Amino acid sequence: MADAATQIPETPLFDRARSIQGYKLNKMAMDLGKPENREAFKTDEDAYLARYSLTDEEVAAVKARDWHEMVRLGGNLFFILKISAIDPTPMTRIGAAQAGMEHDDFLRQRLGKAV
Amino acid sequence: MAKIIGGIGTSHVPSIGVALDKGLSETPDWKPFFDGYVAGKKWMAEAKPDIAVVIFNDHGNTFFLDRVPTFAVGVAENYNPVDEGWGARAIPSFEGAAGLSWHFVDKLVEKHFDPLVCREIEVDHGLQVPMELFFGRPEKWPVKIVPIWVNTIQYPIPTPQRCWEMGKVLREAIESFPGDERVVIMGTGGLSHQLQGSRAGFINREADQAWLDGIANDYERYRQMSREDYVEQFGSEGAELIMWLVMRAAMDSRVELKHKHYHAPASLTGAGMVVLENAA
Repeated sequence: MADAATQIPETPLFDRARSIQGYKLNKMAMDLGKPENREAFKTDEDAYLARYSLTDEEVAAVKARDWHEMVRLGGNLFFILKISAIDPTPMTRIGAAQAGMEHDDFLRQRLGKAV
Repeated sequence: MAKIIGGIGTSHVPSIGVALDKGLSETPDWKPFFDGYVAGKKWMAEAKPDIAVVIFNDHGNTFFLDRVPTFAVGVAENYNPVDEGWGARAIPSFEGAAGLSWHFVDKLVEKHFDPLVCREIEVDHGLQVPMELFFGRPEKWPVKIVPIWVNTIQYPIPTPQRCWEMGKVLREAIESFPGDERVVIMGTGGLSHQLQGSRAGFINREADQAWLDGIANDYERYRQMSREDYVEQFGSEGAELIMWLVMRAAMDSRVELKHKHYHAPASLTGAGMVVLENAA
């Protein structure tokens, strides 16, 4: 299933390999569902991230709010969205980043919005 | 015995809840979406169900990847809204129809399903938003709930065929449940959307419209479709539509399509609903 489905163009499915690769990154993000962890993240992002033994690549992606890179590293959008709750980022901007498009182009071309 | 009074298929997009929280439902962006639900809400008010069975997926809010149930059933007396990162929303908690839940679990296992049985658990927007769309924002929900979680996040997700079979067991459970409760079944998720990868923002209006027309009486093709087909036609997250099959399978083979609505995009998603009744 996963092997066949990942062949759908431009569509990464959250399969075994991604789930295993992204486990720590997703766990860090999942824990932001708790207010005390959100506070810790806001107070000292480096110290919070250090709790999760993330790779340098993962830390850099989180700190840059690089949504495309976080997904490439096995992040699943539903978990990493909790980062966007801390410094509010509209879902359409995250979508545009995934697609590698300018926000207005994304709204027009993908969502059919008049911008 | 309890009675199935209708089947609902509906989107559960989180930004719908946010729009309600922020009072945006009359804005140009949102008004056409909410207007389409007026008929569904009216239907619900007149149908007066006692219990809503809600089939939905968690979105990394209640379940983490440390344990991923393919199917889970809530048997709690009460379910609180979960904190999804913005703080728990100010909506009432949900009273559980624990008796029917346990009866459904009994039937599932008899029929060789192996659900996770949850006694203490919170619910995310997957359940909250459909309830708000059809019951508004009451001080207390007018129905008790039976929550059914389907894993649509981590592969392997269940097959459409398996969702269909679960719907058959759901019907049997409701119709053998002692009591005179009126039960509405809500299959939720979709319609087409993709949030990840460079195809993000994918919406397939044609496929969505065909789904809303076909799920009533031309459902066989959707039941036979593979998971790959769902992802290709409806996007990686649009594959949530398999959860509508649980609802559809619990209804008669012929149904009446009472109401239908489609709007795109709601956030990044094709969104809409159907209201089905068993044909008299």
